[in-house]
Amino acid sequence: MTDPKDREKSPPEAHTPQEERSIAHRPEEKASRESGGAALAPPAAEEKSSPPILEVNGLKVHFPVRSGVLQRVTGWVKAVDGVDFHVREGETLGLVGESGCGKTTLGRAVLRLIPPTAGEVRYRGNNLLTAGGAEMKRLRQEMQIIFQDPAGSLNPRMRIASIVSEPLRVHGVCNDKDELRERVQTLLERCGMPRNCVDRYPHEFSGGQRQRIGIARALALSPKFIVCDEPTSALDVSVQSQILNLLRDLQGEFGMSYLFISHDMAVIQHMCDRIAVMLGGKIVEEGPRERILQEPQKDYTKALLSAVPVADPRERRKRAASAA
Amino acid sequence: MLAGVMAERAPTKRAIDPAGAPGPVPARLSDNPLTRSAAGVVGMVVLGLISLACIFSLPWTLGWTSPSETPPYRAQELEAQYLPPFWSSHDADARERLLEAAAARIARETEDAGPGGAPFEPSEEELHSAAPRYILGSDNLGRDLFVRCLAGGGVSIGMGVAAAIISVFIGTIYGAIAGYFGGRLDAVMMRIVDILYGLPYILLVVLLAVAVDALMLEWMARTGRELSEGQRIFVNVLTLLVAIGGVSWLTMARVIRGQVLSLKEQPFMEAARAIGVPLHAQFFRHLLPNLLGPIIVYATLTIPQAILQESFLSFLGIGVRPPLPSWGNLVAGGLAELNTVKPRWWLLLFPSLLLGVTLLALNFVGEGLREAFDPKRGAARRST
Repeated sequence: MTDPKDREKSPPEAHTPQEERSIAHRPEEKASRESGGAALAPPAAEEKSSPPILEVNGLKVHFPVRSGVLQRVTGWVKAVDGVDFHVREGETLGLVGESGCGKTTLGRAVLRLIPPTAGEVRYRGNNLLTAGGAEMKRLRQEMQIIFQDPAGSLNPRMRIASIVSEPLRVHGVCNDKDELRERVQTLLERCGMPRNCVDRYPHEFSGGQRQRIGIARALALSPKFIVCDEPTSALDVSVQSQILNLLRDLQGEFGMSYLFISHDMAVIQHMCDRIAVMLGGKIVEEGPRERILQEPQKDYTKALLSAVPVADPRERRKRAASAA
Repeated sequence: MLAGVMAERAPTKRAIDPAGAPGPVPARLSDNPLTRSAAGVVGMVVLGLISLACIFSLPWTLGWTSPSETPPYRAQELEAQYLPPFWSSHDADARERLLEAAAARIARETEDAGPGGAPFEPSEEELHSAAPRYILGSDNLGRDLFVRCLAGGGVSIGMGVAAAIISVFIGTIYGAIAGYFGGRLDAVMMRIVDILYGLPYILLVVLLAVAVDALMLEWMARTGRELSEGQRIFVNVLTLLVAIGGVSWLTMARVIRGQVLSLKEQPFMEAARAIGVPLHAQFFRHLLPNLLGPIIVYATLTIPQAILQESFLSFLGIGVRPPLPSWGNLVAGGLAELNTVKPRWWLLLFPSLLLGVTLLALNFVGEGLREAFDPKRGAARRST
């Protein structure tokens, strides 16, 4: 894995009030930026402060629990319980937490795939939760999602060409058959797929290739914001790094922002500029990557970090000694 | 004794197994999902033969090809009543009727040839060559049972297929709406299905048939118009079709609802929503193609059910009305002719046999299809 300092993309310089609240360790952020690859950073990060592309305030998603003959609501599962965060232009926010903590629900609720119970989601100032049909359709062009399960996220009865071109057709971006095909092939090629794969069905591809197809579909409309819902957890390790590098390259190329959901600390460390730690439907800690990884404040974050297996035996011994 | 046999066999089995000998080879003929099981293949062949013969002969048996003559399905030859199949043994009575029928045929022919011909006494050879040869015998009015079985098969299979199409149409739409929208709408819609399930369908069909008949008579009395024979048959068949189709979509609706419930949680449906695919496109482009498997399977299993229901109703006398034959009313007619003195067995045996074989074949094909579309069978999936 590359040194994390080599790829500082968008140092979130604190200028907005929210930023002041959430980031307490600016000096480190600056230090890491000075030391490293500002050259890699996308244009958005060059500015002193890039505006937030997505703001989430007090988002709640509660599911009713029904029981008894009358199916009365006897309780609520608070999958997401009052979450505030924001994602800046060109930045990757990592969302990490144990399974069942509401990461995935949060990701879906942000895109309004699950109706939230309360709260506010603003995309470039537009309230997503109150947007009407036409406005929502327009906004959907700029937000996409990449799924965890590459097999299930592609319709088994559709050819790759129609899967990847569907967003273009639905939004009327492009209706000419030859042009569509050309665009789809270019997209797939960019995602590392051969051009001649368009006439095949999803089951003819491996997991990694399917994920590349899923990414190509998400990119079709050149979105500005993508929710990556554990995009690599169903893949084996060698393919994982390829997909992660592809996502990172694409981010640089298209200047997108990611909300990157994962339970894998190594993946989060590799991908994210800032990290939010979730537990029981709430964000318990949020901050720049360096601070979260090196100086976790909350016990849960510390526990999460210490659960990461260490490959180096000397490191491992050191950690065991410090824990004892 | 049984224990002895078992004890004898057990060691041999044990001796074979460790050697890694393959177990019994499953009855599979090819990788094509339609032709995977032997029963399915046999079923398809038998079904194909019977249904093609019945349906393609319909224009002729129902007399559409030559409208001026009596349609073959009810062409009578009164002298030739109750003749057994020509290849079976004839008792004295039957032999006598056979000769009578032959004489009558010759007499008709000479009459046609020209009036004023002298009375003609045919020789025995002439009589033999003119004797009617019914493959499956004839009935009480001297109608050819083979032709009636063909026509009846066409009517039965045609109604079965039509009823299945109706049930697929209603069931798929109903089930997909209930499953996709879920919640209270789903609950209400499925309770309606439960209620309809609870009603005895025979009662429904009888009520419907009686009501339609009464309405037709009233309409005729009010307007003073007479319905032609063909129109009456049409109304009769249509009523039956609506009745059978109207009760057999319930299972379809439940199956489709279940499928949609699980499909709509699939990530690719979520992806479609994230893209902003409109509702109708979600349904037609994403849901329906994935429902095709179960739809085909349940349609093939609905056809025999519908045929059986039609036959049952016709057997009871509230279905297809004679003289239009269906396998059901042919069986009913055959049963009435069954007695110990003169067992006219062919009248009962052949329609029942045809009905039974067809239903069995359809069920085999349906089962074969269900197996072929089972997602747990990898090879079947690969070929779709």
